[in-house]
Amino acid sequence: MAGRMSLYIFYISNFLLLICLIASLMQSSKIINNKIFTKPGVIVLAYVQLISILLSFLILIYLFLISDFNFDLVYFNSHSEKPLIYKFSGVWGNHEGSMLLWILILVLFNFLFALSRRISERFKEITVAIQSIMIFGFVAFLYFLSNPFAINQNNFFDGIGLNPILQDPLLAIHPPVLYVGYVGFSLVFSLAIAGLITKEVDQQWASIVKPWVFSAWAFLTAGIALGSFWAYYELGWGGYWFWDPVENASLMPWIAATALIHCVLILQKRNVMQSWTIILAILTFSLSLVGTFLVRSGILNSVHTFASDPGRGLFILLFIFLILVFSFSLFAYNSEKINKINSMSLVSRGTGIQVNNWLLITILTIVFLGTMYPLATDLLLNKSLTVGPKYYSTTIAPIIILFLFFMFISPRLGWTDTKLYKIIIQLRYLIITSLTITLLISLYFELFNLTEILIIFFSLLLVISSVTASINFNKQNILVRTNLGQNLAHAGFGILMMAVVSNAVYSEERIYNAKVGDNLQLQKYIFSFDKIEQVEESNYNSLKAYFLMKKDGKLIDTFTPEIRFYSNPPTITSEASILHKFFSDIYLVMNVPQDQQSISVRMHIKPFMTILWLGTLMIIIGGIISASIRFGRFDEK
Amino acid sequence: MSNLVKSRLIKFLLSLIIVSIAVLIIIFNLRDNIIYFYGPTELLKNSNKQGQIMRLGGLVSVDSFQNETDSIFYFSITDGENKIDVKYEGILPNLFAEGKGVVVEGVYMNDGRFIANKVLAKHDENYMPPEVIETLKKTGKWQGE
Repeated sequence: MAGRMSLYIFYISNFLLLICLIASLMQSSKIINNKIFTKPGVIVLAYVQLISILLSFLILIYLFLISDFNFDLVYFNSHSEKPLIYKFSGVWGNHEGSMLLWILILVLFNFLFALSRRISERFKEITVAIQSIMIFGFVAFLYFLSNPFAINQNNFFDGIGLNPILQDPLLAIHPPVLYVGYVGFSLVFSLAIAGLITKEVDQQWASIVKPWVFSAWAFLTAGIALGSFWAYYELGWGGYWFWDPVENASLMPWIAATALIHCVLILQKRNVMQSWTIILAILTFSLSLVGTFLVRSGILNSVHTFASDPGRGLFILLFIFLILVFSFSLFAYNSEKINKINSMSLVSRGTGIQVNNWLLITILTIVFLGTMYPLATDLLLNKSLTVGPKYYSTTIAPIIILFLFFMFISPRLGWTDTKLYKIIIQLRYLIITSLTITLLISLYFELFNLTEILIIFFSLLLVISSVTASINFNKQNILVRTNLGQNLAHAGFGILMMAVVSNAVYSEERIYNAKVGDNLQLQKYIFSFDKIEQVEESNYNSLKAYFLMKKDGKLIDTFTPEIRFYSNPPTITSEASILHKFFSDIYLVMNVPQDQQSISVRMHIKPFMTILWLGTLMIIIGGIISASIRFGRFDEK
Repeated sequence: MSNLVKSRLIKFLLSLIIVSIAVLIIIFNLRDNIIYFYGPTELLKNSNKQGQIMRLGGLVSVDSFQNETDSIFYFSITDGENKIDVKYEGILPNLFAEGKGVVVEGVYMNDGRFIANKVLAKHDENYMPPEVIETLKKTGKWQGE
């Protein structure tokens, strides 16, 4: 029998979910008519929605922390001997818990928007109502199809445990950050639908949307970066991006969102491209849902997949379908009324952004086809296949060259007609500098591949151009920063692209079988295999090797790659040992020995990894600055 | 037809053409980079696949594992009916063992041997690649649910 306490918790938590369902239903009814429930008002209901979900989330955390194995979720995903932080992160290291987290963020955005001021009451009501329809759908799904508070009658002594590969501090924060990004676009979607209903998609609308879309984008970027960083040092393959379907699932909404933030900017400045902005808002959120669907349905075989339950996948699929049908019929019906005829000049910043929008959509199509094609052949033809990573790199690289060019030139153009040759003359020093540096790099490093040279050239141009554009002096010769967020993010992207290309070209790998006492060589470094030790930790045993890295006979660093043997559940993982230097990473992984005498060691030199992460960080900070400046400005009005 | 409709129609058709060309280029590139998956029986039926890069999956046959040196390994992959001999040079993943599921990537040679350049790593001891489950189901050797 389940304990009395557990039973109470079971009733309370399910009751809380029901309260949220009712509040969301009342909130949604305001879309048709706000006379049905004049009281309670939008804000009161938003409070109820937030508090009920927040409490049930806290209860779930509590259940994990006290290891109450009367609850199925805790039993299947936790273990009493697990370190505290992983009991905590185990809450969202599974399907039900991660759905509850998803809903919590959905409700939080709903709440924050309900509190925001200077928005017309009716517009706010409609937006919150649409958001609440989604809350209702997801809470109903959670309650009926994947209830995190399901209780069992067995008194289990201990739990099964959390997959050790997920036991990592980074993975404790990766899902919440990624979810804030995904779910942030739900609010953008609600705002787009509200704009369609009220037929007010204009500059005012853009300024309401801007802070939300920028913060969601910054979080999504950070979430993807964290996932990539985790894969780099935890999976032990020496790579940071594998074009794995799960990674692609998070990249697709990011690409759409990147197009979207730029459209919102043009809309606010020039009052053009209303329809396209709305389409992108719908697309971005749908792709976020597709991302959740692909990862959660068990269609993909990967560490991210917790459960293969077709019912759950079907629900999200149905949900995506309904959203697409609803929003596109509404769009077809109302799109004529939101479009204002404001033409753009041909050679202008707007056109540049528009061109890059098309390029982004092309890249999105490439990633979409590569991700979906194996799924389609598997479902329709019952044929298993994989798309090699070369497909992505060779198809996307030429587009990136064009993309970088327009990223460089567009901010230099005015919003009205500009003479292109004048701009080029203005920028001649910049172009000559970049050209010289690229030539030197190409000759010095013997880089003769045209695509790679062009990417480096335009990235360099973009970086220098963004840096110089952000530093301006006013008439009193005082430093003023203009568009800091934009320039930082753009420079970051340029740096990222340079790092990606040079990393791909100059990575080196060596594989050795080593006995204690061996000296292994990797470029100018010598690694002496010093000793191997067994270490016992609270939740795993490990085999730890010590390698002394020397250069010219001098000791530089000690590497300690590990193999960890987990017992709950039984799994073996390899832990890489990485030395981060500014220009290159040195990366050591070892594997379980096939015989008693030696272990196999893989050594990588991964150039420019630190710079790669730095570029990514600049993009994220740029997004945060853009979001916060807009929040600030918005409140000043 | 009014002028507005006409100009929209032209724009629409033009973008349709551009989009179809782009999609065609993408799909051709996609086809060049597809890696098919086969089980041993399936692969023996498709002997014209020799020389292509592909994935092969099944169980590592019991008592088939040999190492020539520290890093050159021989083993065979079976689906219970047929076997294919595999040569692999490199590091074996932690969970590689006889009788367990495995997926390798490489080239099927014209002498009937498979030269693998990758053994795909999996992390969970009880994990069975879905393709391998499918393969075993086809030959009726799958014993799970």
